[in-house]
This record gives sequence, C-alpha cells and structure tokens, in this order.
Amino acid sequence: MDRRTFIKLTAVTGTTATLASCGSPENQLIRFIPAEDITPGVATWKPGVCVMCSAGCGLTVRVMDADADVVRDGKAGVVRIMAAKKLEGAPAHPLNQGGLCVRGQAAIQVTYHPDRITQPLKRSGNRGEGRYEAITWDAALTELLGQLDKLAAAGNTKAVATVVRSGFSQRRAIIDEFLKRFGAPGPVVYDLFGDDVLRRANAMSFGREQLPTFDIGNSRHVLSFGADFLGTWNSPVAQSAGYGRMRQGRPGLRGSFVQVEARMSQTGANADEWVPVTPGTEGVLALGLARAIITANLRPAAAAGRAGALIDGWASGLGSYTPEEVQKATGVSPQRLERLARQFAESTPSVAIVGGPPLAHTNGLFTALAVNALNALVGSVGQPGGLHFTPQPIAARPLASSSLQALSVQLLAGGAGAPQVLLLDGANPIFTAPRAWKVRDAFDKAPFIVSFGSFLDETSAMADLILPDHSFLESWVDAVPESGSVQATASVAGPVMRPLYETRSTPDVLLEVGRRLAKPLSPALPWQTYDAMLAASFAALPAPAGGTDAWTDAQTKGVWTGTLPASLTAPAAAVASDRAGTAVAYAPAQFDGDAGQFPMHFLPYPSIFYDGSAAHLPWLQELPDPLTSAMWSSWVEINTATAGRLGIALGDIVTITSSQGTLQAAAIVSPGIAPDVVAMPVGQGHQLFTRYASGRGQNPVELIAPVTEPSTGALAWAATRVSIVKAGPPDGRLVLFAGGMREHEETPDRGGTWGRGETG
Amino acid sequence: MWLAVIGSVGCGYVGYPTPPPATALPAVPGQSTGLFTTAHASFGEAATHFFDRRAEPVQPFDFPHVTHVQKGIKCTEYCHSNVTTGPVAGIPGLSTCMVCHQAIATEKPRIQQITAQSKTGVDMAWKRVFDFYPESHVKFNHAPHIRKNVECATCHGNIAEQTVAKRNVELTMGYCVNCHNENKAPVDCLTCHY
Amino acid sequence: MPKWGMAVDLDTCTGCGACVTACHAENNISTVGPEQAARGRAKHWLRVERYWEGEFPDVRLKFRPVMCQQCDAAPCEPVCPTYASHHTEEGLNAQVYNRCIGTRYCANACPYNTRFFDFFNPAWDKPLQLQLNPDVSLREVGVMEKCTFCVQRIKATQIQAAAESREIKDGDIQTACAQSCPSKALVFGDLSDPESHVSRLARSGRGSKLLEDLGTFPNVNYLNRQVEA
Repeated sequence: MDRRTFIKLTAVTGTTATLASCGSPENQLIRFIPAEDITPGVATWKPGVCVMCSAGCGLTVRVMDADADVVRDGKAGVVRIMAAKKLEGAPAHPLNQGGLCVRGQAAIQVTYHPDRITQPLKRSGNRGEGRYEAITWDAALTELLGQLDKLAAAGNTKAVATVVRSGFSQRRAIIDEFLKRFGAPGPVVYDLFGDDVLRRANAMSFGREQLPTFDIGNSRHVLSFGADFLGTWNSPVAQSAGYGRMRQGRPGLRGSFVQVEARMSQTGANADEWVPVTPGTEGVLALGLARAIITANLRPAAAAGRAGALIDGWASGLGSYTPEEVQKATGVSPQRLERLARQFAESTPSVAIVGGPPLAHTNGLFTALAVNALNALVGSVGQPGGLHFTPQPIAARPLASSSLQALSVQLLAGGAGAPQVLLLDGANPIFTAPRAWKVRDAFDKAPFIVSFGSFLDETSAMADLILPDHSFLESWVDAVPESGSVQATASVAGPVMRPLYETRSTPDVLLEVGRRLAKPLSPALPWQTYDAMLAASFAALPAPAGGTDAWTDAQTKGVWTGTLPASLTAPAAAVASDRAGTAVAYAPAQFDGDAGQFPMHFLPYPSIFYDGSAAHLPWLQELPDPLTSAMWSSWVEINTATAGRLGIALGDIVTITSSQGTLQAAAIVSPGIAPDVVAMPVGQGHQLFTRYASGRGQNPVELIAPVTEPSTGALAWAATRVSIVKAGPPDGRLVLFAGGMREHEETPDRGGTWGRGETG
Repeated sequence: MWLAVIGSVGCGYVGYPTPPPATALPAVPGQSTGLFTTAHASFGEAATHFFDRRAEPVQPFDFPHVTHVQKGIKCTEYCHSNVTTGPVAGIPGLSTCMVCHQAIATEKPRIQQITAQSKTGVDMAWKRVFDFYPESHVKFNHAPHIRKNVECATCHGNIAEQTVAKRNVELTMGYCVNCHNENKAPVDCLTCHY
Repeated sequence: MPKWGMAVDLDTCTGCGACVTACHAENNISTVGPEQAARGRAKHWLRVERYWEGEFPDVRLKFRPVMCQQCDAAPCEPVCPTYASHHTEEGLNAQVYNRCIGTRYCANACPYNTRFFDFFNPAWDKPLQLQLNPDVSLREVGVMEKCTFCVQRIKATQIQAAAESREIKDGDIQTACAQSCPSKALVFGDLSDPESHVSRLARSGRGSKLLEDLGTFPNVNYLNRQVEA
C-alpha cells in the first residue's frame, strides 16, 4: 500500500475515534472530584522497592497527576489521581546506587498493564481455560475461609501447599508465619534459574547457606565461570555498579575480567578474555587454575582452609588436574591455563564468581565447591574486592520446605496425605518446570487452588479463586536482599499511589484470614496490617547515625542499612550436607539423551524476560535483545560452522528435539557459541500471559529433561542434549532491529549484519 | 476525508497528555486509546481550526470572577495557587470552592447548587479557555512569567470584570513572541516547543 | 551559555539495555508491536549496537549505545524545508514537532540512523497511558522524532534554578539513559564547563567520535574499551 492510501485510512479510523467528542457539551467527560490534594504538573519523588527479581533494589518513583478513567454508579468519567510516572534507581541505596536495570525500568508497566486482574475472580470455565467471573472480596474471603476451616476441623492443616518465588522479605515472613501457625508446611520455592546448588556449596565451604555478594568495585581481577552477573544473575544492578567502578571508577587503576562459558552471554561480551570450555567442566578448569597457583608457589594450598579440604585431592596437590588433563576435559590449552592462573593469583584483590549454566549440571555442586576453593585459596573471602555474605536478619530465614518436584509427586499420588488447598503467590511453575514433572496435571488434581497474582498465566489460570494483590506501587512493599551489599540492608516503601482497582495487599489478606479462621491461629499473628508488622520489625533495628529511629528513617529513604546487632543476625547455617566431611571429586557431567541421537548440548538461558515472568511488559518485548537485537521473538543460537554444516542461515526455521519433545524456532547464526551447543532464551512461548506474550514464540523449557543435581535435587537445566535440523526457510517470525531501519514487505532476512558490524 | 488530514488539529483538548476522547470508556482496562489523533470529525471542523476560529466554550456553571475579585481575592491566593509552585495554573475543583463556601454565602442558590454537587462526587466540568492545540506542542510554564511579574491580565484579559473567563486575549504565537522580544526573553523554538 | 554533550564509556557499558527502556519510559515513545517492528518502524531513540569480531573460539563482542549525536554540523538540519530540525545556542539539535511536515529528508541525511518517523498516531492500551510523562509531547503521525538529550529535564532544571536564583551544577541534569545506567557508563553534561564530568571524559585519550570523518562534529564522545597492556 502506498503512503497516500495509508494516510487516508488513518484519517478514517482516527476520525471515528474522535467523532463523539471534541468540545460539544453533551459529550463532555464527567470529571469526578479527586480523592486527594493534587498540584498539577509538579512531581514528587517517593521511595519504592523493585520486585521484578529477588535482588530488592531501591527505587525512587516520580509521582505526578494524571487523569484516570473510572466508572462510578454506572457513569463513565475521569478523575485526577496521583500516578507513578517513572521509576529510577534510588541514588543512595547500597545495592543499586542510583542505577536500575531493564526489568526495573519496565516494572511500571505492571501497574498500568491492560490485562491486570482488577478484582477477585471465581473460576467459571475449566481449569486452564482462563474463564472467570467477578466476585466481591467478601465472597472470595468467605470461600477461602471455608476451605481452610474445613481442613482445620478435620485436623488436616498440613494439607495446604504454597508455591512462591525466591526472595527474602517481610512479606514472605508473613506468609511463612501464617502457614506455620496454621499448621501447614512452609512454602515450596521454585525458580527455574534458582541457585540452590550455590547456596548449598556456600554452606559447605563457608558455613553460609546464602547467595554471595561480590565487592567487584574494589576488585583488581574478576574471573567468572558462566555467571551472567551483569545481566540477570544474582544482584545484577549492584554487580554492575561495582563493575563500572572496577573498570573506570578508580583513577589509574583498571580491573580486568575473564569470563568462562560455552555461550557468550551479555556479561561475557564485556570480558577482556573470553574462554570457552566444554559444558560441565568448569570445575575442572577451576581446580586446574588452583593447582597451577599452588605449584607455582603463588599461594599455599592450606590457605584454602575448609573450602579446600572439601575438594578431593586438594591436600595432596590436586594431581589429577594437570594442565594436560585439564586440556583434555575442558579444551583450554596449558599456556592459557598458566596465564589465567598467574593473572588470578597476582592481580589481587581478585575474585572468582560462579553461577548459571556451570551449576546447572549434575556435577554443579562440585563446580561450585571448586570455585569456592579457588576464592579461598587467593584469600578473597571476606576481604575488600572479594566474596562476602550480606548479614541477614533472623526474620529473613525462610522455612525449609519440599521441592516442586516432590509437591508434584504428592499431588499426583492423591490420597489422604495429598495437599487439598494450593496457594500460589507469584510463581509460574507450569511454564518454568520440566514437563516430565507433570506440574500441570499435578495442580489439576489439587481440589482447591487460590492465586494471589495480578495476571492470568499458565499457572494462575488453574486457580479456582483469584485474590489479586496490589501492584508494588500501590501497596507497602519490602525486600531483605540476600546479596548485593556488604552491609545488612532492608528495603521498604509505602504505596506511592492509591490502588487503581479492587485489589488488596496479599499480606493484609492473609492477616485478615488469620483473624477470621474458625479455629484461631496458634499463636495468633500479632499484627493487624502488613505495615504494622514492618514498623515493628524495623523498630527493632538500630537507628542509623544521625537518624531519629530506624523505622522513620527507613520510610524516608526507602532503605535501612547498617550493622545488625548480634541478637538479630542469623547464625551461620549448620553444614547440612549428605557429604559433610567427605571431600568431593570431579565426576563428568551426565546428560540426558545419547550423544549419537542428540549431538548438541542445549542451553536455555535467562533472557531480558528473566524466566518469562517479565514477558508481559511491552517495553521489554520491543527491546532489542542485547546479543541478537531480536524483538517480540524466540530464536535458537547456532555456531557459525555448525550452521554452515547443517545448511542453516539466519532466520531459517529449525527443529530442535530432545527426549522430552520437539519445537521449531528461527535460527540465529552466532560466532559466540561453541560448535556443539545450541542456546535458546527462556521467556517467550507463553500459552497465556496477557495480550503481549500469549501465543508468542516458543518455550525452551518444554525440551528440558528432568535431570537433577543429586545433593540438592535442583534442576540441572543445562544437562539436556538435543538434535537440530533445518525445517524450512525464514517465515517472518524473527524480528530483528539491527539493520531494520528500512521497510521490508516480507520476512526480514537482514543477512550479512553478522560479522560485519551494523549499518542502517 | 483526504483534506481533513491536512492541518492536523485535535478536538479541542489541550495541554498535557490529552485525555482520551469521550467515547464509551472502558470500565475495565484494555481499550486502546487513540490518544492523539490529527484527524477531524468533519471538513467544517478542519476549516474552523485552520482559520483559528474558536467557539467560545460553554461552561457548566456561571462562576463570577468579578464577585470574587471585588472581595479582594487575588488570582493566585486561593484558587489558582498552583501557578506559584508549578507550571500549571489549573482550574480549581469543587473541593477548592468548598474550602470557603462550606461556610461563606451558604444561603445563596448557586452556593447551594455547588454544595449539593460536591456531595455527589462529580466535579464541575470546566472547559479550558486558555489552551493551545495539542499539535502545537506548546509547553507553557507559568513560573518564569510570574517571577518576571507579568500581570495575569496581560494574557488572560480582564477576568476581574468577567464572570466565567472569556478568551479576550488571543494567545497567538505572535503575541507571545512580541512580548518576548520586547522583554529580551528567549525566542528560540525550544523555549516553548519540545 | 552551556553546550550540552554526552560521553559514553564503552569500557563500562555492559550492553544491558536499561538505557533504552529508560528512554522509552521518559519520552513517551509508543510501542509499535511486532508487525510494525518487522517493518523497521520501532522507535528506539537510543539503541545498543553490537559488533562481533572474529570467529569461535577467538570471538569478541562490543556494545555501543547510539543516540542522536546532536552534531554541530548536523546533516539533518540544512535539509529540513521547514526549520523543524535546527541547532540551538545550547548545542542541541532541536526537533520542533509542530514545524515538521514529515518529508523525512532529515532521516535520510542522518548518517547515524537516529531519526525515526511516526507512522501512526500514538495509541496505548489503557491504562498504560497513565504512565505518560506530561513534560514530553505526544508526537502525532507524520512527524520525525529523535533523542533530545531529555530537553524536558534540561528546561525544567533551568527554570527551577532560575526560580531559586542558583547556578546549575554539573550533575544537576541527568538524561534518563544516564540516570538509569547501572554501571554509570553514560554521562551527560555541559561541554563548555571544562571541569564537568563530561568535559573531563571528552579529553580522555580513549575518546573518539562516531563517523568523525564525515565532518558532522558530533557531541557524543565514545571512550573506547581500554586494552590490557
């Protein structure tokens, strides 16, 4: 179509949109009296807490007036409200120090999302269909109370299962306390990209079952094994702030950075040296480096202490990790090994990081212990520029609970011991759990499911009752960061705007339910509201220097940071390992699928949507992916030579098959991935997740085999092998921004932008 | 239809994010907003805009400025006070009126009318008088003008003698630029259009 | 008279893209959707480019955030028939939407591909429009738009400073992209102040400009990745 016709059409459609308005008094909008005092055009800034991942960064929120559509007494009109307009990183927050990542910036679209659930809903269709009818809060709470009272009367309070996402907060503490006092088990924490293996390793090596904090800003050298610490892993903004300082924040001193991984991640792209290794052998490389350091007398073996003693062969000099053996296993040459070892030992303070794919193998625990030992060897633990653990208040210790896999088994088994009520708070395990765990079938067997989330997705669409939470800008919100700061930190913020809809803050709902149960909670929950609970827990903290008291100070700043008194500090975790005291040896990673039938390693990695939980935000869908510039798309990354061998070009549709299933996606040919690895971002492929993500792309989780790390039971998501074959030419599903400045009628085959840099 | 597109004018809404047109507003979120359209409803409307002929807005209530000014109330004292702290003067809502009129002149019929209305929760639907076409992209900030002691009447006319405000002063770009030139204020485009 | 400029430290930029989303949020950039994005109509005023070098296993990837360079000798200015694209005294390349008639000659002339045409009137699925920044114009169909160095923030700070009778200090004005950057790779400031952060970075030995040989005299300095000795 040419431009004239096009503009004509716009005029027509535009006209119909405005026909009814334009100043004629009969059609003037009804304006309702605002509920608050509003100065138009003047912004106020209020503290906030970002909830898009478990890092817990601090926000400062710009709040201004806006006209919101409302319907009152059947009359449609507008009312002026104070509305959040922009999220920025809180400048003085110890974690993010004024910065904010893509997900944090996009988070404001959660509050204003067109498909947000606006009131309690009761299922009116089949499970998973997504058909619901609106009900009142009274009716909804009555129903929930009915279910819980029934269980309590039958003496079966254990039959309540809860699934949450990771992240410590006082909000989580209320959920934990409610469940504990009701007599139900603690929540199942499920995160596809969870770091349970690392926590276990840290418990064994350092006595802290916790994610580590890296003082990168004071490091001289960072050696990262697979961790996307500048993108999605652990506390990315805090780590990025440190990275910026490490590189160019100290005059005359620039830190260096080496990344070890099989596929170049966004983080790896920034490395001074990028070291590809065979998947599952990162621990071998780490010990090879350790041996080289010890052999060259750069550091004594004993310096590694307990962390070293956990490694089989450490005390005797790590004889099986000679440069030749390391090369055989990893592919890293002896010269490179020697050079990397020297650099790591001599550019002090240095620190090693491990996370992501290396820990998602069956030998992930060994790899984590090896890197821990490497850190201990060079003395980086607890030192400036090294590895630390954020002091944690006791209240943040979550209840131990079972795994998602175990819950699924319980539900499928049914019978007397099976959960009768399933509570869902923010997790989407039907999307992110391996199909073999049959989570959907398991949930379907639960007699009664309640979801507290704000959106319909694969998992919440199974719920019988939806009690939508406020969005984080409309309610009290808090986070107790597990990592990201050397000092104890607790973020907290009050609502920056009034709730737009008939939603209620989930902790307040639980507190009310707790009060209205036929058989009271034992003991009763002492707080009337969530913010009363926050006030009480912050009051127990020491006041910051020059501040009045901790609670008043925290509300103004959005954060409390300082030194926790001993009475409030969580004790070091007891070493709870089935191998306590036994040294761990290298075992080659086990993969699902035989190498003949499935020759490629499959690497599903966290995308800008993280694990898909942010795929519903249109800004993120349209954001060009850092590595590929793809928007609104799924894709498979294939090594250049491999693609050439298989006859695959940019945009071609390929079929990937694992023992679990098969899917088709567009291919992107990349030089930054090993020839026997194919990678796919996790996040797209939702069957149901708002208008922006539903039915878009493919979900690589469908191919993941249920391989687990033996000690922790954590999913080894990088342990699946696949086969890949070309299925057809490009069909237009892949949308790239790079080279997309010209209009194209058909499929973008941008061709040639790879390897030649970008032009318009 | 073709011609209706030229000269792109909105439908009389002005200022900051143009509120959505008063079509059937959704009770639940999700409808798309044609938030800013340049099309006209008819050729007549397009012509009206092109020749800058504005219909005098019909206000829902004949508020007497003259009465209040005669009582010694200054423009920015109670009702348009926002202009001293921010860029927008704004038209006061009923809550502002009721601050005084919950006690003052309560026996007058018009006061009783607004008292009754304020209880319904429906605000007075004032039509904005001093505005710019949305596609002029004018960012007007009162504060520098107040600071330079520009009299309200310079741009807003003799409101002190009017009931509801009438657009006696034509706020054309030439009017602004002339004053800016005379007073050595900036006249580059980005001063007001960005 | 300030002269606004930016510096981008490519040694510190991690390619995360937070700046791109922050720009969309601040400047009311409408999301075009997958079909229009496939036609090259996505409006990323600021984009992160990626440059691959080498082949596996000796492969390198470099990120580069690119926005309107606010060139002193901007090629987009002389070609605009209506003076919609012109240079201000403070060093900005102004885009005046109400002058723009949409010839798109400026985008044709821009060697950095940082100018975008509005193919549609903006529409947001309600209530996403509540997020819109009231200080930034909504651009109608048929006009060009581009990075403005967050001119609304510059103006607001200048007016505020005048109201408080104080000078504007370095760091008072932050563009949305620079403010959000987690590693603080983007810096905005006054190039005519020799002590400002951006000026000091502009004097860096690592500094260079994009497509300098074209003679556009851009005002964004790119500090190259430092190579290990």
